[in-house]
Amino acid sequence: MASTSEQPRTAVYRLVVAEDAYLIREGIRSALEREGEEVEVLEYCPDLGSLLRAVELHRPNVVITDIRMPPTNGDEGIQAAATLRESQPEIGVVVISQYVSPHYALKLFEHGSAGRAYLLKEHVGHRIQLMEAIREVAAGGSVVDPKVVDVLVEARMRVRNSLLARLSAREREVLAGVATGASNAAIADSLFLTKRAVEKNINSLFAKLDLTDDKTTSRRVRAALLFLADSDLESGAEVGPEL
Amino acid sequence: MNLFEASRRLLAWRALLCQPEITERGGVAIPVKRAAVSRGVGFEQLELDVELRDSAFGTPLRGSDLAVIAAAFACATAAAAIVATGGVVSEPSLFAAVLVANIVTLALGGLVWRRGRPSSLFGNLLLAEGALVFVSSLSGSPSSTLYLIGTLGVWAAGLGATWLLLAFPGARLGRAGWVVMGIGVATFLVGEVPLLLVSPRVVGLTGVRTCVGACPANPVLAVDSPDATEVFRRVEGVLQLTWGVGLLLYLAARFLWASHARRRLLLPVLVSAVPFVVVFALSAALFDLAGAAPTDTARAIFSGTRILVPLGFIAGLLFARAYAGEALTFMARKLVGRPPIAAVEQLVRRVLDDPQARLVFWLPRSEQFVDRHGTPVALDPAFARITWRGFGHGDAKALAIVHDDALSEDPELLEAVGAAALLALENRRLEHDLVDSVDALRASQRRLVGAASAERRKIERDLHDGVQQKLVALRIELELARDVVDAGALDGRLAELAANLDDALDELRSAAHGIYPPLLADDGLDAALREIARRSTVPLTVDLEDVGRLSEDRETAIYYCCLEALQNVAKHGGDGAGASLRLWRDRKAVRFSVSDDGVGFLPRRPPAKGAGLTNMTDRIGAVGGTLAVRSTPGEGTTVAGAVTVEASDWIGDGVNV
Repeated sequence: MASTSEQPRTAVYRLVVAEDAYLIREGIRSALEREGEEVEVLEYCPDLGSLLRAVELHRPNVVITDIRMPPTNGDEGIQAAATLRESQPEIGVVVISQYVSPHYALKLFEHGSAGRAYLLKEHVGHRIQLMEAIREVAAGGSVVDPKVVDVLVEARMRVRNSLLARLSAREREVLAGVATGASNAAIADSLFLTKRAVEKNINSLFAKLDLTDDKTTSRRVRAALLFLADSDLESGAEVGPEL
Repeated sequence: MNLFEASRRLLAWRALLCQPEITERGGVAIPVKRAAVSRGVGFEQLELDVELRDSAFGTPLRGSDLAVIAAAFACATAAAAIVATGGVVSEPSLFAAVLVANIVTLALGGLVWRRGRPSSLFGNLLLAEGALVFVSSLSGSPSSTLYLIGTLGVWAAGLGATWLLLAFPGARLGRAGWVVMGIGVATFLVGEVPLLLVSPRVVGLTGVRTCVGACPANPVLAVDSPDATEVFRRVEGVLQLTWGVGLLLYLAARFLWASHARRRLLLPVLVSAVPFVVVFALSAALFDLAGAAPTDTARAIFSGTRILVPLGFIAGLLFARAYAGEALTFMARKLVGRPPIAAVEQLVRRVLDDPQARLVFWLPRSEQFVDRHGTPVALDPAFARITWRGFGHGDAKALAIVHDDALSEDPELLEAVGAAALLALENRRLEHDLVDSVDALRASQRRLVGAASAERRKIERDLHDGVQQKLVALRIELELARDVVDAGALDGRLAELAANLDDALDELRSAAHGIYPPLLADDGLDAALREIARRSTVPLTVDLEDVGRLSEDRETAIYYCCLEALQNVAKHGGDGAGASLRLWRDRKAVRFSVSDDGVGFLPRRPPAKGAGLTNMTDRIGAVGGTLAVRSTPGEGTTVAGAVTVEASDWIGDGVNV
């Protein structure tokens, strides 16, 4: 287990990583090592208990954790996020998972979406996605893996009389962007739009969906995600709970 | 009356009356021995097709029975000959007819009773009475000795008939019976015996007096005293009147205090005997006390009523059997369904007309009888106070009825009631056995489904932690590799590789999820079904209530049923079919339904003959639930299921039961 806690603390992102599977852990190590000085991994842990102890010991600002770990191989990563929300809310948590099911992302956000990211493991190697997740959670933002959002949007489009059908194709793309936690600027970049156009689209689609736009991106992410995931909202009932 | 014909008919009636047809009621098949009633030697084959519970009835006549019949025939013929040729009797043909009728009916009655109630001595008493009647025919003989014997035979037959009436349907007398019997004996000892010593004419029992003018001399005359004769005749008259009245009172009182069942037995005897007893008492008053001379009419009436008496004994037994048959039918009808033991006992009390009657049950393991509360009941012969009758199959005891001692003389009724109670009991036992085996079957089904479900979880875990993880690691490495190569042809190839790998991952992930959704174990039905809805390829509306956490087997069963039903919509619902998925609970059960607006099908011709529906039914059945499929062509299909949930089965919160 490589521990670099003796080195001078100069890194911007000081991490504790929890992952029980060797191959994935090595993948994460390589992915993080290429970031150089900016990222420092204080300890790699194999389970929930050692993760929480390492956090106590090293006081990292970001935790990357597998969702399914010993002792129960259930949703330990989400439990860790919930525990840390209580004990050290300033720590950002990136939950990495093999589950594409939005259920787990929503569950992660149940205790608040600020400083939380849900990333599929296969995207850990993707430099931009991984670093963006780390940066966002460290800054209190939220990120949801685009693939998870795609599944949701696809599912919602199948539902009859879906509210999504009221949106234009462009608005749906923007909504998906919002649900991943991307900033307006990032959405504008990825869709080749002006920032202004993105803002216009957001205003319009939020109005169509009876959603309240929130300038805080983490809340906006959750609202968008909840809208996409919650079929109860089909009937035009109230929007998901406030944070 | 033709003896053979009569006995044949009687036997046939008896078979019909005592063994009413028992049909399969309440789902109980009664072990019946099917036998045609057939009489052997000397009888035609009877083509009666009667179902008999036991073969006691179907046995041919025994040698002793045939001997009785032959003896009765011989006695009747001899009696008729004696009376007809003696020249002593004033109306020989009438007297002969009475004797023949009495001998034949008494013999027949004796046979019927011996066969119908082998345990009772009454049949033998009837035969003995028949013999006495034959002896009394000697009073038609001109020989003075034979005449005297015949006269004494008349007395003996009269006393015997009294005994029969008093003891019926048993063979022994009660205290009141002994009083009446004592009066009869006193009439003979105080009235007749002195008369024999002082009167030159032997006149016999008043009313049965046979000779008019040419009576044979009295061989035991001691002193010829007309005064004494007159005195003793009056004494005899008074006593005979008392005897008759006492007998009438006794019969009336017994009838009034008898149970319903017993009245059935007593009524024919009462009806047949009362006219004779009345005539008997009246003749004492008229001829002995008032001194009137018996007329032909009086003799005819006396003879006619006397012929009737033995018929009552036969009819009594037949009535008792008929009543028992009715009781059996009545009980069989009442015991349809699942009457509790207490109700069976109430019914037994009602039919037996014995409010103290109890059903007790044999416990083979502890080898004792217990009542319905489980209290042991000692049925030891040592406790003579308790009268009971046991029922079972062969030597195997099953239950007993503890009853009033008086019911011992109604064995047919007890048998019928016991048989019905036994049926009810066995019905319940069968049902218990059935429930037990259904439970066992369900438990094994549950184990099977549980094992399959555990296996699925294991496979999903293996996939997730094994091959899926390796692919994910590869995907990460691939992305890392892309980082270190410059844009160009290689990067293009790597990007292509990455996309292919993503596809493989998607497929694997989807397969793993199909094998077992980890969500179900982690967060329960509601979450797992919502996930199904999100992945559904048919437009789906969902209405999922939070039903809380159930036991794993129940959750898995419901989950896979819903999944299977939705897959059926996708496969067979037709283009554009939409579906709705509901999950809710009520007080007793968690319910679900999958309805579509697809093409539907005819219930007899489901679109796929595959195991889909069977699988669903098995899964739900294994957890004690039910599944119903309704479909109308053109209107769609609904699969609805319910899984019963006991309060203890709720293992999560969010439930207010």
